Amino acid sequence: MAPIGVDEWVARSGDRRDSGWRGGLSRIDARVGWWPRLLVVGLLAFVYGEFVVGGNVNYAQTGFNVVLYALLALGLNIVVGWAGLLDLGYIAFFGAGAYGYALFSSHAFGNLPLASGGVQLPAVASIPIAVAGVAILGLLIGLVALRLSGDYLAIVTLFVGQAFAEAVNNVAPGTLGGANGLFGLQGFKVGSAEIGSTLGYYWFAVIALLILMALLHLLDTSRTGRAWRAVRDDSLAASAMTIPVNKVKVMAFTFGAIVAALAGTIFAAQQSSVFATNFNAQTLILIYACLVLGGAGSIAGAVLGGVVVTVAQQLLSSPIDSAYLFYGILVIVLIARVRPWRHLGAVVAAIVGLGFAAHAIVGAISHSAVAGSPGSAGWFAGALRHFAIVPRGEPLTYGNILYVAAIIMVIAVVQLKGIRRLIAVVPTVYVGICCWEARLTLDPGITAQIMIGAILIVTMAARPEGLLGSRRVEVI
Amino acid sequence: MHIFIQTLVTGIVTGCLYALIALGYSMVYGVLKLLNFAHGDLYMVGAFIGYFAIQWFGGAAALIIPVPLLVIFMMLVAGLGVGALGVAIERFAYRPLRNAPRIAPLITALGVSFILEDSVLLLFGGFTRNYNAPAFLPFTESIHIDGVPIDSVQIIVVCVSLAMMVGLRELVNRTLFGKSMRAVASDREAAEMLGINVDRTIAMTFFIGSAMAGVAGVMSGLAFGQISNIIGFLAGLKAFTAAVVGGIGSIPGAMIGGLFIGLCESFSSSYVSSQYSDLIVFGILIATMLVRPQGVFGQPPLQKV
Amino acid sequence: MTRLLELEGVSLSFGGLRALHALDLHVDEHEIVSVIGPNGAGKSTVFNVITGIYEPDGDIRFDGQSIVGRRPHQITRLGIARTFQSLRLFLNMTVKENVKAATYGGTHATPIESMLRLPRARREEREVEATAQDVLSFFGQRLLGYRFNQPAYVLSYANRRRLEIARAMATGARLLLLDEPAAGMNPNETHEITELIGRLRDERGYTILVIEHDMHVVEGISDRVVALDHGEKLTEGGFHEVANHPGVIEAYLGRNPEALQK
Repeated sequence: MAPIGVDEWVARSGDRRDSGWRGGLSRIDARVGWWPRLLVVGLLAFVYGEFVVGGNVNYAQTGFNVVLYALLALGLNIVVGWAGLLDLGYIAFFGAGAYGYALFSSHAFGNLPLASGGVQLPAVASIPIAVAGVAILGLLIGLVALRLSGDYLAIVTLFVGQAFAEAVNNVAPGTLGGANGLFGLQGFKVGSAEIGSTLGYYWFAVIALLILMALLHLLDTSRTGRAWRAVRDDSLAASAMTIPVNKVKVMAFTFGAIVAALAGTIFAAQQSSVFATNFNAQTLILIYACLVLGGAGSIAGAVLGGVVVTVAQQLLSSPIDSAYLFYGILVIVLIARVRPWRHLGAVVAAIVGLGFAAHAIVGAISHSAVAGSPGSAGWFAGALRHFAIVPRGEPLTYGNILYVAAIIMVIAVVQLKGIRRLIAVVPTVYVGICCWEARLTLDPGITAQIMIGAILIVTMAARPEGLLGSRRVEVI
Repeated sequence: MHIFIQTLVTGIVTGCLYALIALGYSMVYGVLKLLNFAHGDLYMVGAFIGYFAIQWFGGAAALIIPVPLLVIFMMLVAGLGVGALGVAIERFAYRPLRNAPRIAPLITALGVSFILEDSVLLLFGGFTRNYNAPAFLPFTESIHIDGVPIDSVQIIVVCVSLAMMVGLRELVNRTLFGKSMRAVASDREAAEMLGINVDRTIAMTFFIGSAMAGVAGVMSGLAFGQISNIIGFLAGLKAFTAAVVGGIGSIPGAMIGGLFIGLCESFSSSYVSSQYSDLIVFGILIATMLVRPQGVFGQPPLQKV
Repeated sequence: MTRLLELEGVSLSFGGLRALHALDLHVDEHEIVSVIGPNGAGKSTVFNVITGIYEPDGDIRFDGQSIVGRRPHQITRLGIARTFQSLRLFLNMTVKENVKAATYGGTHATPIESMLRLPRARREEREVEATAQDVLSFFGQRLLGYRFNQPAYVLSYANRRRLEIARAMATGARLLLLDEPAAGMNPNETHEITELIGRLRDERGYTILVIEHDMHVVEGISDRVVALDHGEKLTEGGFHEVANHPGVIEAYLGRNPEALQK
């Protein structure tokens, strides 16, 4: 909780907040202002697209996904981060934008006796039409939402989002494609020049992102932004201070919808197809994770969150990379939480010692118990061969028991304090590593989901305001 | 008429289950103002515990202990087990966020949900399992309503649910713990300053709410047979709706809401179309929320200006 | 002297509880009127009714026009601004932003104009900045300089009260409703507040309606005092008249005041 009263001297010196590199960074940040962030984002995006991708379609797709989620998180930030409205149906705007574009760029309407062959407008026309349509949708939902506050708003919007996915899946299959979706969409064309590749869409999305970041920053620092934040902090006081709360809330919904719709059109064009399953609860959760992890209320936070979550997801889908992520997170957590350095050294030494010792002892008792090879790919397997206890074959029971044991031990470690905690960390980490090598690597898809869940829990516990968010005082 | 009675009975049974889950939602929301999206998954874990209890005692077709004993055992173990799990989750995931902005625990709850669903997937696989209750809980032909036979399972579900709901109401209204729960729900800081152990109260609330969800899971397995690691999501969603329609934070509200949603679902499935039944339920709910946003038993938020 | 604010026969009930009953009240332009009464007398309710949070029976006229039934933000734009008994600042916004937020009603730039920094938006931003500086400088050094960019939650209690008044001033109002401005302040700060209220009228021409418990403040600032109890007006007049009114004494202290004075 923030201190209630701080006297003059402390308040003055409170500005010299942190010492060391964090303080230095925040001072530089305060001096240069906001715009260099745009430059940084643009530069990183340029370097990635120009040098890192190098013709690899997977890398191009990853880059595109990152920018897409950054866009979506940016739009969600308007509604949730700035205006404080918990819109759990945000995914519907994204989907409506995508489907809107698809309807005007495919044979969809050809199944109605309207236009045989469908209505195929050039992107220059279909994008604005789709976005405008969704903006109106956002306005309507905003108007409906005025009657609801806080958690009730969350529930109703959640159902609107669910209803959208169901409707698009079941209703009017002739036009909307039903479960098969719409495909064969034409891409973005100007005249005869068409964006042909994923990389092309990546650049398009990057430009859209940069422009939106700029526009939204200009909006945030204007009367509209102040009104949104005032409504979020205390809507009653805001209305007493000349702010038309209802109009401001509807504006937030509408702007959020516009950004989502734009992202939707780009998504539809790049995929060349749309399916109801693209817009399910899973995707919504990811967008929220992007925003909250990055820092709700901050433009840079939304973008950073988009990067972090999408990259993590990407890493987790490849077995080699997920090993890096797992061990990387393990190392980071140990470094961050075990202090001072001598304690960290002792703990690491103990883990290493315990591992080799346990492996040797168990190996002496039963050769087959350690005959298996560690699941992680690459050099990990070799390094851990004499460390982790991995039985021959792929015994699921052993792995499952380890998994449950690991979870129980982690929960126990968090409850302990002081020296007991340090001691408990050692076997916990070792069991965790064995579990990873012997069991979790066998089912990379499931493991990815578990890791995402764990990342969400741990990051929220460590820093609830998100990476670039700021601590808020909330009056319940 | 036959169909009507059948639909009614199904609706009541489903409604009881939703009510039990909704109660957990409402109780946790009351003390923590948290919408625990992982709650539905606790119900799923309870269902699995019950399933493995059956297997442990020989399997549905070849039980080695008498059936009443088995049923009681299943419910006890599921209740206690899931209750303990709920307490552990609260301590590990939600306690650090007591004073954080409201959206952070929401994300944590989603993370917990992932972990629960995927841990079960990892440990036990994703295929659906079947309780196969008819093998050991015979159809009781002795009770009929207007020609429609009532299943013994259905009787068990309704009776146990009612017993738990009545028990909960007594707990909340008559005991000291119930009073401390209501105090914490009303104003956490003030309760702490009056000597109430807030941490313990919240932990117990989680225990009770989760235990009820666990027992609901067992009963769902008995009544509907099929369980898998993803049943928690939709059930949780509907129970959550029930809690809100009834008035989130209100215990009678959760009960009424659960029955209402169960009946809605049953009737729209029978008389309209099972494909659209979810959409219809959503539609009814949105309409209810617009007419009376705070739910049936909820109180509109009071503000002292 | 024109009657800036006039309440006529105002009544409000919450279920069975009668919060206000047939209340007549008026404030002339440039007057400072204090509203006193024991807790639960209905004083804050009067403010809530004037600012449109509740809709009463009876009539309320501001500068001749009836304002009953209007929304709060509309009423504020007409020229009535308030502070809150329990402080309702925008805690996560900076000091300057709190004040600037209140200028929303006086500016008209659309979001598009703001995004593109078109001339009208830029001009209005300059005016808003000037208003903020002006209003905050009224409080001396306390809310200036390094304070501008501090979030409101770091402010001390007294500074928070000042900021609330500054924010109300920024709305461009003519009539200020101050709800217990001296609550929780030490004697020094109380003295400052008393002077401040006087300056608000003398230097800035505000008309002020004050709810206050501290009789030193009431005595120091009021042109007129209105005493309420149980939602009804007991009496009104100069400070000494009202303070010695038997009904007022009874409301605060109970019966037999002579016995207690011994």
